[in-house]
Amino acid sequence: MAEKIGVYICGGCDIAAAVNIEGIAASVKNKYGGNCPVIKTDAVLCSPESVARIKADVKENALDAVCLCACSPRVKWDVFAFDVLTERVNIREFCVWSFDKQTSAPDAAKGIDNLTIMAQEYTLMGVVKLTKSSVPDPETLTTNKTILVLGGGFTGLTAALEAAAVGHEVVLVERKAELGGRALGMYKSIPLAPPYTETQDTGIDKLVAAVRGNAKIKALTSSELKSLGGAPGLYTAQIETGGAAHDYAIGAVIVATGWEPQAAEFLAPMGYGSIRNVVTAAEFEAMAKKGAIARPSDGKMPASVAFVLDVGMCLATPEAPREDACANPAEPAEGAEAGPAPYPNTESCKHLAYSSELTSLVALKQAGYLREKNENGLAMIVYDHMMVPGLNERYYKAAQDDPGVMLTKGTVAGLTETANGQIVVNCRDSLLGENIELLCDMVVLPTGMVPTTAHEPTVNLVYRQGPQFPDLGLFDGFADSNYICFPYETRRTGVYAAGCVHQPMTMAQAADDAAGAALKAVQCISSINRGVAVHPRSGDKSYPVFNFVRCTQCKRCTEECPFGALDDDEKGTPKPNPTRCRRCGTCMGACPERVISFDNYNVDQIGTMIREMGVPAKIEEGGPRVLILACENDAYPALDMAAFRKTAWSPYVRFIPVRCLGSVNAIWVADAMSKGIDGVMLLGCKYGDDYQCHFVKGSELCNRRKENIAESLKRLGVEPERVDQYQVSIDEYDRIPALIESFMDMIKEKGPNPFKGY
Amino acid sequence: MAEPVRIQPDLKFVKELQDVGGESLKKCYQCATCSVACPLSPAENPYPRKEMLWAQWGLKDRLLNDIDVWLCHNCGTCSDLCPRGAKPGDLLGALRNMVYRKLVAPTVIGEWMSSSKHLPKLIAIPALLYLFIWWLSTGLTIPEGPIEYGKLFPGDFTIDPIFGAVFLFVCACFAGGVLKLVKSFQDLPQTFAVGVKAPPKPTLVACLIDVVKDEIATHAKFNQCGKDNSERFTGHLTLFYGFAALAIVTSVVAVAHWGGKILPFLTPMGHTPMHLTNPVKILANVGAVLLLTGLIYLTRRRMNADPAKSASNYYDWYLLGVIWAVALTGAFSELLRLAGIPTLAYPVYYLHLVAVFMLFAYLPWSKLGHLVYRTTALVYARYSGRLPLAHPEEKTFSV
Repeated sequence: MAEKIGVYICGGCDIAAAVNIEGIAASVKNKYGGNCPVIKTDAVLCSPESVARIKADVKENALDAVCLCACSPRVKWDVFAFDVLTERVNIREFCVWSFDKQTSAPDAAKGIDNLTIMAQEYTLMGVVKLTKSSVPDPETLTTNKTILVLGGGFTGLTAALEAAAVGHEVVLVERKAELGGRALGMYKSIPLAPPYTETQDTGIDKLVAAVRGNAKIKALTSSELKSLGGAPGLYTAQIETGGAAHDYAIGAVIVATGWEPQAAEFLAPMGYGSIRNVVTAAEFEAMAKKGAIARPSDGKMPASVAFVLDVGMCLATPEAPREDACANPAEPAEGAEAGPAPYPNTESCKHLAYSSELTSLVALKQAGYLREKNENGLAMIVYDHMMVPGLNERYYKAAQDDPGVMLTKGTVAGLTETANGQIVVNCRDSLLGENIELLCDMVVLPTGMVPTTAHEPTVNLVYRQGPQFPDLGLFDGFADSNYICFPYETRRTGVYAAGCVHQPMTMAQAADDAAGAALKAVQCISSINRGVAVHPRSGDKSYPVFNFVRCTQCKRCTEECPFGALDDDEKGTPKPNPTRCRRCGTCMGACPERVISFDNYNVDQIGTMIREMGVPAKIEEGGPRVLILACENDAYPALDMAAFRKTAWSPYVRFIPVRCLGSVNAIWVADAMSKGIDGVMLLGCKYGDDYQCHFVKGSELCNRRKENIAESLKRLGVEPERVDQYQVSIDEYDRIPALIESFMDMIKEKGPNPFKGY
Repeated sequence: MAEPVRIQPDLKFVKELQDVGGESLKKCYQCATCSVACPLSPAENPYPRKEMLWAQWGLKDRLLNDIDVWLCHNCGTCSDLCPRGAKPGDLLGALRNMVYRKLVAPTVIGEWMSSSKHLPKLIAIPALLYLFIWWLSTGLTIPEGPIEYGKLFPGDFTIDPIFGAVFLFVCACFAGGVLKLVKSFQDLPQTFAVGVKAPPKPTLVACLIDVVKDEIATHAKFNQCGKDNSERFTGHLTLFYGFAALAIVTSVVAVAHWGGKILPFLTPMGHTPMHLTNPVKILANVGAVLLLTGLIYLTRRRMNADPAKSASNYYDWYLLGVIWAVALTGAFSELLRLAGIPTLAYPVYYLHLVAVFMLFAYLPWSKLGHLVYRTTALVYARYSGRLPLAHPEEKTFSV
């Protein structure tokens, strides 16, 4: 806990012109002079001279913390870098730049200077925050450096080589007897190298040879990961090879278990299984690999093949949901024996749609196979969308240039077999006419790619929350968390997904994905080695500390941790695994006994800050007060951006940043309400299917807890509307002022908090 | 919903089209920039987008019956603006070439006219024919005395019967071609504009008058298309009037000469060579100058054209080449005759006859066939209501 704090109040960037900074300095001296041996005002705090002065003060007065009242902590963080605890009080953005003069006018007439009051409160809150903070001192562990790669296909082999190339030992586990995976069954690949116009050899043999010849890679074939126990940097992987199980010490894991062809039953609406010469792309690929393209009915080379990419008939439509088409054919019948809960099989017709980029490319590639094997062969492609993003546009152009590859957009309405085994493809709304039919010798339907994680846990974790990645249903089985913000990351720290288990992708993309996941694994091991968080709070030294004396074994923390960081013993006492933890504080927010804390972020600290807020006894004199707990990942930057644009908002709100709304403990709201604060706004990330929460579940959990808070408020006779949560994304800076405005209007309407003045 | 139409893709036809000037047709990805950009394309079923797609699938029947290929005057705006370099303008040119090649029997001439490898045959026919006549008349020697080409190629017995026969042959071929063309157009989809009262159907004569007025005499549509076509427009118009002048001269001479057999007072008007001040001769020389001027314009334009935007094909160069040959050998026949150099004048005149034969005898299978086919199509388009455009639009595009 900081005891000797240096407080510096900057007057630059219009601050001194608007705020009485000397008055603020005096109030700090008056209230916390004992803790603050140094209290200074400064014209330009970020100038090299001022920064040097601060450093000199720290040394001279043996300060253990500095409180800098200036601009947002999101700017000049490189200038204000000191060896002691540093608190940045954001009086520029949150006070001066966003000050609403109009709303303050009646107060100003009464001689109340809302702007200085606000800046002063924030300063005092910053000082008390430091008195409740200390420097985290994480344990540095001796960790395993070996990287486990699951899956010996194209992605896995690439990932293994990438990890080995930066010096890590690799254990590669392949279930089959041979390395190579699905690429072994491919005749050719779409282009992987400039000029990206021609199919090429998959290169899988070379990749396998490179892995076999790499001394750092131990490739285990006919092997399976039975269990993965422990935590990142300290994993024990039990791998069974040919019936015998061995334990391996593992640091991090790359999941590259790939995909499986979608069950062909999903293609039944388009004649697969009932029309002899309708085959899947996977079957066509196998024919090409074998050397001869042959019609199933007579074994002859087809003269014309229709590659039908429009699979609307197999997909559910909002008007007429095709339950039968989308239902999983492998679903066990009802009333089956009750055993351990079966793995939620997420394979569905949707995987056809998800694979459409690949199915487009594969149709172009396989049209080329026909043209290669039959000089006069005619390849017709009927597509709904020809999806060839990025460089593959070049391949599309090249494929289209072949006179024997004919393309049209069209909605396929039906396929019928003629007496001689030919097929008539009926299309509506095609480029060639409203209602056309194409006669061909053979039809190739696309093969959907289903991630292995749609069928089985794959990673077999020994975690309290279960052996699999949680909530994969959200991604229809793909081992993904939020691929835009955090590619490769799964919901389990230390386990990174790459390749088609992650999303359907080309081999070129898979090679990049493999390299990315390998680097993530390396980053994980080296971060853990230094005792810091891996991501998204990369480099954070803090970690949750448990005061087990007060723990009631309610298991809320172990259940709610989005990352499964906490195991427990038989009694239910949580067992922390710091290297699994992402430092979001969701456990801290969950704990009713306030057992969990971080050295520099804890329940007492925020509670003390709230208590530092000044609440006028009457709304009419000095206005109402609203506490805004703002997520520091999205809401806080959005507020900063609004302030940069000089957008004003009510002078009666006070912001306190939180790591994640998941870390908000109900006691803070209780503290605020009992103090007479008129309302609490919780600003956090979007949740639900398209969540943006950096910690996946935080804002969702907060919203759930809010319901309980509302219940408690009702019991106390306080309107539950006074506490509400709002979802804002980082780019919604233009929306936030109006959000605050409407909340303040609501408060005005409700009148003062009934507890005010108690 | 309409009955499904069976699509019959024809790979061979796609390749044929690529051979006659549509080599980029596969690059089209159906953005329709071409149809939007074209100043002449009708709003209903606009070209050339649909032709691009039909060509990619080799839909021969639709393409060979397509009147729209004749509505295009090949300014190249579509090809300039095409984001894929698919050159729709060239494809329509290729489709017209396909008509030259396939429409009229004997199609073997169409075959020979489609590729430079058959050129020697095409030259050999008139070359041997006139060499034979030369051998008959003077035994392949240069005659003495004042230069009179009649000494080598007596008009009444050689030139006129041959060209007369050629003329009849060409007319017969064209007649067959025009009938075939009109028949193919009759399968056109009917176009209509909702809410607009159908105008009374014009007569064929009225249509023909419109075509001559709007298109042929003034080149108005030709000038309307494209954005910077002054060179093309001037060249084509000049060439056209050069030909018109020479056609009048030829007619006067022919009518006077043969008419003189019945009405003797006409004979002197048809007597050649004429004096340089003779109005007919003046018209002939003006025609020759116009022809050469037009040729210079058109040749220069083709040579300067960006091959990435539009490519000139064998049909284009054959026609330009033959007209050059006709014009140059014609002009030099006159100049060498006036200069009195028989050793050069007679051979050049021989070449002139060969060139003229190549221009006229193969006309229905050459690009010059558009003279008849395009006129037919434009008349029919007016007759069927495809033209004139219901809502003429001002379109401005910059590249």
